[in-house]
Amino acid sequence: MTGAEIVMHAEDVHKSFGRLEVLKGISLEVTKGETICIIGPSGSGKTTFLRCINHLEKIDSGRIEVNGHLIGYRQRGDRLVEDSERNIARQRTQIGMVFQRFNLFPHKTALENVTEGPIQVLDMEKRHAVDKAKMLLSRVGLADKVDTYPGKLSGGQQQRVAIARALAMEPALILFDEATSALDPEAIGDVLYIMGELAHEGMTMIVVTHEMGFAREAADRVVMMDDGLIIEEGTPEHFFVAPEHARTKLFLSKIL
Amino acid sequence: MHALVAVDLHIIWQQVFHPHSVFFRTLWATVYISIISQAAGVLLGLLAALARMSRFAPLRWISGVYVWIFRGTPVLVQIFYIYFAFSWPTLHFGFWTVPDAAIAGIVALSINEGAYMREIIRAGIDSVDRGQMEAAKSVGMTYGMAMRRIILPQAARVIVPPLGNEFNNMMKTTSLVYTIGVFEMFAFAEQNYSQFFIADYFLAVAVWYLMLTTVWTFIQAYIERRLAVSERGDELSFRERLQAAWNPMTSWARGGGG
Repeated sequence: MTGAEIVMHAEDVHKSFGRLEVLKGISLEVTKGETICIIGPSGSGKTTFLRCINHLEKIDSGRIEVNGHLIGYRQRGDRLVEDSERNIARQRTQIGMVFQRFNLFPHKTALENVTEGPIQVLDMEKRHAVDKAKMLLSRVGLADKVDTYPGKLSGGQQQRVAIARALAMEPALILFDEATSALDPEAIGDVLYIMGELAHEGMTMIVVTHEMGFAREAADRVVMMDDGLIIEEGTPEHFFVAPEHARTKLFLSKIL
Repeated sequence: MHALVAVDLHIIWQQVFHPHSVFFRTLWATVYISIISQAAGVLLGLLAALARMSRFAPLRWISGVYVWIFRGTPVLVQIFYIYFAFSWPTLHFGFWTVPDAAIAGIVALSINEGAYMREIIRAGIDSVDRGQMEAAKSVGMTYGMAMRRIILPQAARVIVPPLGNEFNNMMKTTSLVYTIGVFEMFAFAEQNYSQFFIADYFLAVAVWYLMLTTVWTFIQAYIERRLAVSERGDELSFRERLQAAWNPMTSWARGGGG
């Protein structure tokens, strides 16, 4: 990681829901082109941390930067104050997100789902956005579904549209929040294949997943979270061959 | 006693099928007061619904007090207060003159309607999955843009059916503004009655109200069908929507089907 460009930098991130502290000081750095898989038991804070990265959740303390810009907050003296809505929205254009439940816009066709952001947010010319969206949809294997509404697509197809929607914004970073957890086994393979391709092509990705096969194949680094903390991180080889932490060993023995 | 059976068909025939221009002016008054009040009511309801969901507490309180007052007091009282407590201008748009009483009536009906629309619109917005706002934000939309382009179009499917019923009510409720001197359809019937003492003027005007609400039923069914087009596969045909509109049981029974 010498001199590599840092895309995401998280420093001592704390977050509580009421009295329940879900993030107890998370620090993580992701460099350009890296694929990071975050694994860990449910309730360990993986998803919450991911949602903090694009400020869908506020953080209580610490800081998160993407491409060198503080996310969601502005520095005022030595305090951080929440940034304006417009600035937060602009920052999010750099951070794609793929959700567990797809969250496609049901009143828009597959194509419109993909062009919505570029046209409305990035002010891209419609013709250009449509061409690009068609290219992206054929890339995820849905060239024949451009005019189909999400309600008529299978889960796997919807998730592939969602990936195309994220890619259309040309983000610096894409967050995957258990993107395959709601899919049937066959569809899981399709979606993981596309995610693997993206990882190979050098997309910077943070992937919260229970798919250990994917973590082993596609991740540059695996991060194990437990009870609001990162307890271990390393290469997939390190992780799946000789994990150090007892908690990691236990988790992997249960899941593999 | 004989009044029970003696319907003067001549009056009905004349007023329903050959009304004169004075009547049409009053029909027009009923129509424009209904449409403007309903449109403004929807707008106020939307603002109040957004205020209700605001992170800024005073906005939530204002929205709450607004609904509390205007749903908790008679609309007739509101109409009288708004007409007599403020001075209203008479507006001229070329040939079309809107008298001060009509302005006051529209204002009162709009504010009253907004209080009811707030709940309808809020229920509509609540019906949209939370993930939709998150997905919209994650492609870089601001709250306002996400509301306009993603949330409200989906909420509309839930909002439109009760909104249609509200408009149906509105057309009938406009008859109350006759009490502050607006010369609309009911005022026409009332005036003729006091001149000739023939109750059938009221029957004739009832037929006209019925025609208005019936035409609206068709328009509503059409709008709902258009809104359903982008929905999954389970859109209803025009005929089915009409049936549902006529018979509440039909739509209730279909509820479980999906």
